[in-house]
Amino acid sequence: MFTNYSEHYLPNGIRLLIMPTDKFKTISMALFLHQELNREVAALNALLPAVLEQGSRQYPDKLTLQRALEKLYGSDLTADILKSGERHVIAFGCETPHDKYLGKNGTLLRQGMSVLGSVTGDPLTENGGFKKDYVCQEKNQLIKDIRAMLNDKVSYAYERCIALMCAEERFGTYKLGQIEDYDQIDREALYSYYQKLFYYNPIDLYVIGELEEEEVLEAAGEAFSFSRSEEQSKLPPTEINRPVPEVRYHEESMAVNQAKLVLGFRTYTAYGDAQYCPLLVYSGILGAFPHSKLFMKVREEAGLAYYVHSRLERHKGLMVISAGINCDDYSQARDIIDRQLEDMASGEISDTELDNTRRGLINRLRSQQDSPTQLISTHLSGSIGGRTYTAQELIEGIEAVDRQEIRAVAEKIKLDTVYVLRPGEGGS
Amino acid sequence: MRENFRLIENRELHETLYHYRFYPGLDLYVLPRADYQKKYAVFSTHFGSIDNCFRVEPDPEVTELPDGVAHFLEHKLFEDERGNVFDRFAALGASPNAFTSFTQTSYLFSCTDNFEQNLDHLLNFVQEPYFTEKTVQKEQGIIGQEIKMYEDHPHWRVFFNLLAGLYQKHPVRNDIAGTMESISQITPELLYRCYNTFYHPSNMAVFVVGDLDPDRVGGQVEENLAGRDYKPMGEIVRLFPEEPAGINQEKTVQELVVSEPIMFLGFKDNRAAKLENGPLMRREILMELVLDILFGSSEQLYNELYRDNLIDENFGAEYSAETNYGYAMLGGETRDPDQLYGRIMEAVDNLKKEGITAEQFERHRRKILGGYIRRFNSLEFIANNYLAYRFRDNEMFDLPSILQGVSRNEAMEVAVENLDPSSHALSLVVPPPEE
Repeated sequence: MFTNYSEHYLPNGIRLLIMPTDKFKTISMALFLHQELNREVAALNALLPAVLEQGSRQYPDKLTLQRALEKLYGSDLTADILKSGERHVIAFGCETPHDKYLGKNGTLLRQGMSVLGSVTGDPLTENGGFKKDYVCQEKNQLIKDIRAMLNDKVSYAYERCIALMCAEERFGTYKLGQIEDYDQIDREALYSYYQKLFYYNPIDLYVIGELEEEEVLEAAGEAFSFSRSEEQSKLPPTEINRPVPEVRYHEESMAVNQAKLVLGFRTYTAYGDAQYCPLLVYSGILGAFPHSKLFMKVREEAGLAYYVHSRLERHKGLMVISAGINCDDYSQARDIIDRQLEDMASGEISDTELDNTRRGLINRLRSQQDSPTQLISTHLSGSIGGRTYTAQELIEGIEAVDRQEIRAVAEKIKLDTVYVLRPGEGGS
Repeated sequence: MRENFRLIENRELHETLYHYRFYPGLDLYVLPRADYQKKYAVFSTHFGSIDNCFRVEPDPEVTELPDGVAHFLEHKLFEDERGNVFDRFAALGASPNAFTSFTQTSYLFSCTDNFEQNLDHLLNFVQEPYFTEKTVQKEQGIIGQEIKMYEDHPHWRVFFNLLAGLYQKHPVRNDIAGTMESISQITPELLYRCYNTFYHPSNMAVFVVGDLDPDRVGGQVEENLAGRDYKPMGEIVRLFPEEPAGINQEKTVQELVVSEPIMFLGFKDNRAAKLENGPLMRREILMELVLDILFGSSEQLYNELYRDNLIDENFGAEYSAETNYGYAMLGGETRDPDQLYGRIMEAVDNLKKEGITAEQFERHRRKILGGYIRRFNSLEFIANNYLAYRFRDNEMFDLPSILQGVSRNEAMEVAVENLDPSSHALSLVVPPPEE
């Protein structure tokens, strides 16, 4: 029922995960370089994929690169930086349509892989550094992106809550770093950082599509032939045990129409823990679905919000409740939310809520099998969390969760930080 | 009662679609996708935010609606006498949702188990309205929060401000959810009147996709309809105000808390509003090509603007048209809207002088073809978009073949016609001035 990856290693130590399947009309390739998240290197990590994406030795500028991709039937090349737990992951992707829908005879895998290899492993350099114009231009773009976090108020409020809650932890680092960190980066320093990362840090390469494994191994070996250390650097695990001496309250005022309420909790449960499945069920009953308590009580019964939900940051062991409300309804909304948390803790959970949540979670897990992107990101999550679950394992885990375990989760969960974005003056 | 059946085969995409029509006029499309875990169903009505003035043949009486009724109805159908519809899907492990666009309202679910029961739920709740004073009032609170959320959303604001700048009368200029004021006028009676018109099966269609047996699904839908005693309904006549050719307002500026200005530029396509369905789809494809050739990341302009820090990766252009409106729109966040505006208008002018090269045209055609194929991975994409095309009598599976058939000359003609400087407008969201 579920397809799994076959695992290989390229001669230089890159891990290659292949999933041959004829389900999709595409060939999906993705490369991830793992690095630790911390304030000192966050801007470097974010800048690196942005600069590499501008051009390589073979495709020296974006225009040349994009034209090459267009000739490969609009193959899509992406470069990004991901934050997951206290891991910072440099991500590249290339998705091409499968040849069989174009009446072609199977060269798109090799060509797409070659572009990906060129951009990541064979960058454009001048005088011992990256090209100056690109570094300068991408610094400006990233500084602009950091400022633009303000534009979407829902995600702004979420990021603010996390930053305040985890101000003294590595996790409090914004995924693009801070504006002032960019001043100090020059093209030579960035290049030597690149060389070090690609030499020492773990790299995973995923390929999904209607393909022969042999063919993929050969294409990947050719495209990623740069040399790497035999010993890979070990990355520190995510710290999840920080105590909460008292609940902190932060309020910010801005010229907006709707107030945003964000509550940050610590669950003290890691991705690889035995309590991971009970935590999924806990958050599911509380606020991950339209049948969940938060949606039913805050929205459907009281009519106070359009969106209200709980989300997990699985690797950091956080749970975050978010809602958009009228500022005047703050106390009422908080009361209802608090009551739901109390009900979770005292076991006021109906059989229906429990069953529906189990089914909903299982439905999500199964559905992930239908998207190459999700197949890749769930496996990546396993690498980050140090434990790879198969879909079947998680499904069985969720089915087995009982009330006792949910209660144990509820007893551990602690509210850490309340963040409110209030309509008023200000916002810069 | 089955009135019609046909197979729609597409060789480029390797897809076979089963099309059934049942009395009194409901279309069902089934697309089998072996190996997919997920099954996805969408039940849509050809009733969107722009359909706010109508009558039903042969009755001459015209109904005029406050803005936001289609969207309000979407919210309200999720509640019936037995309570909340979400729970019933949840009990079967399905994930339900709904959305309202300018031209349609869609109800959907995805599931990996219990497909037949879920499909019954979907068919039932959409066909069983229940509106009371109390439930309508409560929904005004929820939708009020939805409206407020969008009021704070700069990209949403810049988009609707531009439509209001391009259009003087056509309802596409109004927010899909309406306003706090317009939704306060909505009553249960009004919802029932709209429901009884637009939710007649002859104005609706169902699309399901997944590892399914088409005839089995066909039989189930047929049976569901059979017990409902539908009568044929007269044609719905949608009335739109006569839209003048000129734009409404050259430039709209709104202050919001943003990091830097957001600029959208739009060209009103007066020709699209008069086209038949076939030529309309061709025009959309041609404009997709033209805009990609002008503003895409593989061309000079994009790269120069990016280098000069005037745009970021989110800069983009798109064309959208329906049977009575059409527009091209482009833009993004920028530090200097005046300079960006000047450079764009200059590029539009140059295109008209210099034309499109054969190499450019083929390259972008390939890219767009690949894009179509890639999107066919997504069951949601196929189902949602298929019905949008279907409601204006287009066949979505024809996209690749129409794309292969269009010419460079046609593209130039369409470009000159649509990208006419006399019918463009500008919308800006800017940060408040520093104190």
